[in-house]
Amino acid sequence: MSTPLGAYEGIVGPAVLRQLRQLGEKLAGTRVVHVNSTREGGGVAEILEWMIPIMRELGLDTSWEVIDGNPRFFEITKSIHNGLQGADVAIPVKGWKTWEDVNVKNFKRLRPVLEEADIVFIHDPQPAHLLSLCTRRKGKWIWRAHIDISRPFRPVWKSLKPVVERYDASIFSMAQFAQPLPHPQFLVPPSIDPLSGKNMDLSHGEIEAVRGEYGLDPSRPLLVQISRFDRFKDPVGVVEAYRLVRKVAPVQLVLAGGGATDDPEGKAILEDVIEAAGNDPDIHVLLLPPDSHKTVNALQRMATIILQKSTREGFGLTVTEGMWKGKPVIGGDVGGIRLQVVNHHTGFLVNTPEGAAHRIRYLLHHQDGIERMGSTAREFVRENFLLTRHLREYLTLMLVTLRDIKANVVNV
Amino acid sequence: MIPFEVKDCTLLARMSGLPPAFNLRELRERIAVCGENVLFHHFCETTLRGTFDNPDYRNDFAVWSKLYLGDRVVSERLGILDPYAFPSLGELRAATLEVIDERLGESTMIPWARPGDEFFFMEATTVVFDTGIRITHPRELAAFIGAMTVGSVYFHFLEARRRPPIGKDDFTAWLLENGNGGKNRKYIDALASIDFYFHTLPHLRSELVKVLSGLEGSK
Repeated sequence: MSTPLGAYEGIVGPAVLRQLRQLGEKLAGTRVVHVNSTREGGGVAEILEWMIPIMRELGLDTSWEVIDGNPRFFEITKSIHNGLQGADVAIPVKGWKTWEDVNVKNFKRLRPVLEEADIVFIHDPQPAHLLSLCTRRKGKWIWRAHIDISRPFRPVWKSLKPVVERYDASIFSMAQFAQPLPHPQFLVPPSIDPLSGKNMDLSHGEIEAVRGEYGLDPSRPLLVQISRFDRFKDPVGVVEAYRLVRKVAPVQLVLAGGGATDDPEGKAILEDVIEAAGNDPDIHVLLLPPDSHKTVNALQRMATIILQKSTREGFGLTVTEGMWKGKPVIGGDVGGIRLQVVNHHTGFLVNTPEGAAHRIRYLLHHQDGIERMGSTAREFVRENFLLTRHLREYLTLMLVTLRDIKANVVNV
Repeated sequence: MIPFEVKDCTLLARMSGLPPAFNLRELRERIAVCGENVLFHHFCETTLRGTFDNPDYRNDFAVWSKLYLGDRVVSERLGILDPYAFPSLGELRAATLEVIDERLGESTMIPWARPGDEFFFMEATTVVFDTGIRITHPRELAAFIGAMTVGSVYFHFLEARRRPPIGKDDFTAWLLENGNGGKNRKYIDALASIDFYFHTLPHLRSELVKVLSGLEGSK
């Protein structure tokens, strides 16, 4: 069920909602179509799930279309996705043809809505070919890249670039994720929903129930890293950091992440982590089901310090989530973590297990620092990384695109 | 008295189209040719952008030089540049290039950033909202400013200096326009007393409230 915009007023304040409603008035009746490749699961569907109802509430005529594809199509688009992120993947000509054919088939179904739309957002590469097919389009088409394509596997980018450069504009989450393209490239970072299960306020009882379930000691400091078991999240490095701290402080560690059973590499990493943890009763390795939002929420809320010791990272929304819980974050000095974690203000950036251990010990010795940085972190997220800011930038982008895409100033 | 119209604003950032800079020389080359909107973004809009207020320096060039080039000398020299002290962005650009040229002349090796740490040139569209709020008397300024968003503070006190009358914030321009024999002088002087560039926007808001509060009754 969608959350009405008014429910966010107590969190972001009336001025933010006023801006959104003013933008909505200017865009009322605008026909907006979002196209992606899945209705549920994954970050894009999560964004569209909250964004579409609120855009409608604001008066925009918004629809969400999902392209259908066969297993072969999704295998190819998975390879394109991996190739754009730098993996050496071989996509044969036949594979690209499958990609085009599935887009053609979907275009036949979507043609009326795409041709009449004032603005079309195409999310990621799967439906990107629709633009080439929609020769009678009336509106502006925007390609939204949700992934980091700054260092792609060149043959993949070489095939996709001629398609996406024909769009009127593109959107990237960060400047560091973009590729040079001949149209305006807007920068819109992702966001979190403060009212979702992962981020909503929890009662003391709910938090204590999770603490009890996993046998965590309320009297000792707790370090928490939430992320899937992936080499780039460096969970083994987190265990090393914990061990360095454990020599001098009675800390506990929770490493919690989503299922890795169908991912051979993930399974291997999980085994490495379990081996590294050994029989230490204060290391809790939790393999959580995908819908454990409130458990994750509770773990973050009971943490003393949040860790995200990634060696490679996208935007790092788990960092945003941890900061929203009012916790300092010790994070890897990579990707979007850098935009969020500022030394001595919202946490610390580190490069090694030793660095992480040093900063954990520093914070354990500075309780006032934990509270101050946690409070700064929460306000920083409130100001910059909640869905209201995300929505405002989409609405603004639409207004700018419809009026003057390169304008320096737009009056609402 | 013509009422003061309270506006609010936000930014929509975009890539400038310039290639990123990997070292100090490339930074210089790009600054020499970038649009004024790009220069303004990295010197002035940083305070409103969705990134953390780095308290060390107020412009992106100084922050990058420190964090990723590791050249503290050039970052200190760039960090002290106050963009609002220059009559035009052209003169700000010249001063910035002068600082970098001086440093390049002193250096035996050009400092480089690691891949992934390059400087990205950006610009932004300023989106201006009419809040519908109107201020009708200078004595109300402190109370209204205290309740303003940081976007309003930025728009009226910083961004305003880029608009005619050039170099003046909107509050001062309004007070001068409605001066009626200099009776607004104390407010104008109070506003002029703030060394505003080095404040974050929430601090600037507090400072504005502080200097404007309690002026009633004073001469």
